[in-house]
Amino acid sequence: MLQIIIQGLLLSGLYALIAVGFTLIFSIGRVLNLAYGAYLMIGGYSYFYFSQILGLPKIAGVVIAALIGVVTGLLIYRLVVKTLKGDSVAIEIATLILAVVLQAGVVLLFGDASKILLPIIPGVVRVEGAAVTYNVLVATVASWVILISLYLFVRRTHMGRAMQAVSMDVKGAAISGIDPDRVNMVTWGISGALGAIAGVFFASYTQLYPGMWVSPLIIAVAVVIVGGIGSIIGTLIVAHVIGYMEVIVTSAIAPELRGVVTMLLIIGVLVLRPKGLFGREEL
Amino acid sequence: MNIRWYHLALWTAFIVGMFFLPQLVSKGTLRTIIFANYLAIFAISWDVLSGRTGYVSFGHPFLIGLGAYTTAILTKRFDVPVEISIPAAVLVTMVGGSLLFLPALRVRGSYFALVTLAFMELMYQLVQVIRPDLTGGTRGMSGIQTLTRGAVNGYYLSFGLIASLGFGMWLLMKTRLGTALSAIGMNEEAVRGSGLNTTKLKLAAFMLSAFVAGLGGAFYVHYLGSIAPRALFDINFVFTIIVAAILGGASTIIGPIFGAFFLTFLLEYLRPYLPGAERYFIYGGIALVLYMFEPKGLHHVLQMALSAIKGKSRS
Amino acid sequence: MSVKKITLAALMGSALAATSAYADIKVGFIGSLSSDTGLSTLRGAEMAIDEINAKGGILGEKVVLVKADTGEDVTEGVKAYEYLAETEEVDFVISGSIDDVSLAWLPRMIEYQIPTLDTWTSYVGIIDMVVEDPDAMAPYFMNIASDEALATLYINFGKDVLKDRMGWDSVVILAEDTAFGGAITGLVTDALAPVADIEVKDIITYDVGTVDFAPLFSKAQASGADFIYQISTVNSQVISSQYVKLQVPLAMTGVNVGAMGMEFWEDTGGAGGGISTLSPVPSVGFDMDPVSADFVKAYQARYTSRPMVPHFNGFNAYHGVKQALAAAEEAGGFGDVKAWSAAMEKQDLTLEKDGKLWLRYAYWGKDEVEPVTQRTYPHNGRFDLEAPYDTAQPSMVVVQWKEDGSVGVVYPFEYANTEYTLPSWVKE
Repeated sequence: MLQIIIQGLLLSGLYALIAVGFTLIFSIGRVLNLAYGAYLMIGGYSYFYFSQILGLPKIAGVVIAALIGVVTGLLIYRLVVKTLKGDSVAIEIATLILAVVLQAGVVLLFGDASKILLPIIPGVVRVEGAAVTYNVLVATVASWVILISLYLFVRRTHMGRAMQAVSMDVKGAAISGIDPDRVNMVTWGISGALGAIAGVFFASYTQLYPGMWVSPLIIAVAVVIVGGIGSIIGTLIVAHVIGYMEVIVTSAIAPELRGVVTMLLIIGVLVLRPKGLFGREEL
Repeated sequence: MNIRWYHLALWTAFIVGMFFLPQLVSKGTLRTIIFANYLAIFAISWDVLSGRTGYVSFGHPFLIGLGAYTTAILTKRFDVPVEISIPAAVLVTMVGGSLLFLPALRVRGSYFALVTLAFMELMYQLVQVIRPDLTGGTRGMSGIQTLTRGAVNGYYLSFGLIASLGFGMWLLMKTRLGTALSAIGMNEEAVRGSGLNTTKLKLAAFMLSAFVAGLGGAFYVHYLGSIAPRALFDINFVFTIIVAAILGGASTIIGPIFGAFFLTFLLEYLRPYLPGAERYFIYGGIALVLYMFEPKGLHHVLQMALSAIKGKSRS
Repeated sequence: MSVKKITLAALMGSALAATSAYADIKVGFIGSLSSDTGLSTLRGAEMAIDEINAKGGILGEKVVLVKADTGEDVTEGVKAYEYLAETEEVDFVISGSIDDVSLAWLPRMIEYQIPTLDTWTSYVGIIDMVVEDPDAMAPYFMNIASDEALATLYINFGKDVLKDRMGWDSVVILAEDTAFGGAITGLVTDALAPVADIEVKDIITYDVGTVDFAPLFSKAQASGADFIYQISTVNSQVISSQYVKLQVPLAMTGVNVGAMGMEFWEDTGGAGGGISTLSPVPSVGFDMDPVSADFVKAYQARYTSRPMVPHFNGFNAYHGVKQALAAAEEAGGFGDVKAWSAAMEKQDLTLEKDGKLWLRYAYWGKDEVEPVTQRTYPHNGRFDLEAPYDTAQPSMVVVQWKEDGSVGVVYPFEYANTEYTLPSWVKE
């Protein structure tokens, strides 16, 4: 029992971190960035290249990965989103194409073979029969720290309030002197960094391989759909719903049904409660 | 009905030209055209639903896969003749289409796109865990009955399909139904306001799309002779279908066909020079740039060029 | 016309000229050009062809190689095979495809009847197809032991090492998906108890996309078994690296495709210690006979990118292409498929090490019954399932990566160069 609680907590923390960058763009820009999964891929591979191949310190690897994430996010915003002038369907399709291109790029640079990341902090601790690696523990703690600071950033800073304003009403925000373009730039940059960092943790949980952008994208999509247009708190709650559901299905019901249950939840929520469990909330 | 003589002339030219093609090109090229034909069918199916009504499907392989798996299982595991299994596959796909229709009653736009993606993922998971003795699980199925042997026969079959489906859909889209569907894509409320039953119209679009997808998927699997979930319920497959429809020109019939041929041949012609992953990089890159700068598609470019020539000859 | 365009046109022109002028005997490679697996086969074939051309080719003609990438995608596999058959019109296909890709293009091979050699796919279902329809499958050969044979010998490892030496009585099986060939999962589960006297406590299946294995390992531990047997081919690195990171207090052995290449240590950044896997031969850590050692030396002199040591299928391709071409020489070319097929069946190459038969590249006869499994394996590469392995090499060896980054063979004992050990965190 305790084992399930611990494992669920750890997995959910990771899922929250994966989903939050995606939610951010969805609630502020009102577009689905299907290249979001590619941020995780880019983050993971950057970390691998800089800290595992070049041998830079791990923390430097994470920082460089985050910076590359920011640049990717900004580039996508500038080159794709701005060019398509906010047409959300067009952006979804363009970002999907982009994700496929980026995947081919990764194959070109690193090949098809999967790679395993070194644990960021090696070692393991046993709690009540549940093994917990320091690596996962760090990911969970980092996830919470990042989510809380993001929440504070959105609530307490000038920029954060501007983001809230844009997420509620773009035109109204523009009238009250907020530059939506600048807010969007910042959002896409932050989202890129969050995605890249999530990618480092996700990859250290699983593995690096060129198709790795799909499953985190699905997780992010699941969280957004089930939660509704996301608040940060909503994201956190739903990530726990999905995370715990997976752990319970895996350890108590049938492991092979793990993915099925998540998809059924998505479809069920969309048909029964299309606005999501938490509906439209403040960021 | 807004059909002009030159429309029919173009269709005739297309069909006659395609009919004599095997005399002119190599077998290898024919094989490429076969894949282009099937991709064109899938792209038309996607376009009827998404290009026109604006309900963008990111899970079209869900429908195609239903058709493909139904006929594959029926023929391979139960020795059902294809004359029965293919219609059955189309029916099952249409039932699947109505499942997809349920969320469309309540959600639109990005949410709808996401739920279709979820349907595809669900199908991917289910195929592997539910009755793997029937579906072949992750390994899929091989040695499925093929309807034709050789490039030329395969070509004629696929060409017959695309010609009849393409022409049929084209006629249908010229009727008031087609106009109404496109109107939904522009403004659903306005269509409802004008007294039309949008639910019925949307259902028609879903059924048409599923019909084409099911038929295409069934014949496709009987052409390939094998099926595997990893290649079918794959976001890369979604990408190819959507890009074919959009690159050629959404909301048209010739557009998706054109786009499918462009994409398939682009990929094949890159093969001798870039045999590896570079191919996809360039292919995707070209698709992205074209889409970004000509979202209305190659069909539109062609039309502009034609009218420019016409304009010149008049002046 | 810019300079670039001119050079491009010239290049294209020369490429065309090259393919049409000397395309006397054309070999087509099918496989992934960006995976270690695919590259091993490709390079093995390249080296074999160059050696033969240096000796003047076969039947007075030069041999050329063309490539078709599958990207490990089944539909691309069909397209690639069609491309080789109809655009390039190859005489012979050498394949480094993975199982499901091979299964996808097989109907095409049956249609075109092009002599084809698989070097990686080990699915016994394909050999069953040869049994059922020997005429249609005449052009097909597979020179790796089929998965059923791999599993059979693996059971002996269970008995000789896990049961007798380690003293384990029960196992929990962690199987990657529900349909992995039926062959390995079924065989291992059915045979472990009667043959090796190891009780199967539980079988846990999980889906390929699983992110977090902690709950699965907890479940495995809760079963009370003495060790974990893991069956997986796709994403097997995830489960093994999480096993190492979580320091699961049970030994784990099984099938881990990732651990079959020398790059495993680098790719896992060293988080692969203690992992053991069965591997077709010659595996990583395998003692080489002089011929194979020369092949590796020549390979390393020629290729500077990964894989630094060819995987087993690289050896298979090297010897297999030579044999296929020799068979063609005997049969007067690849044109008469039946004649080629008959000549290919008779190919036999024995490599010795210190006077002992070490590796053998030959095929099972049509009606030859393998004594242990009591079935036939037509067109499958020869293997031996019984010590002292004097008719061929064993169908597989078990290799183990040690925590210091070294790797060696632990079973069968005749081929072993190290002992099976527990990872340091597992208590005896």
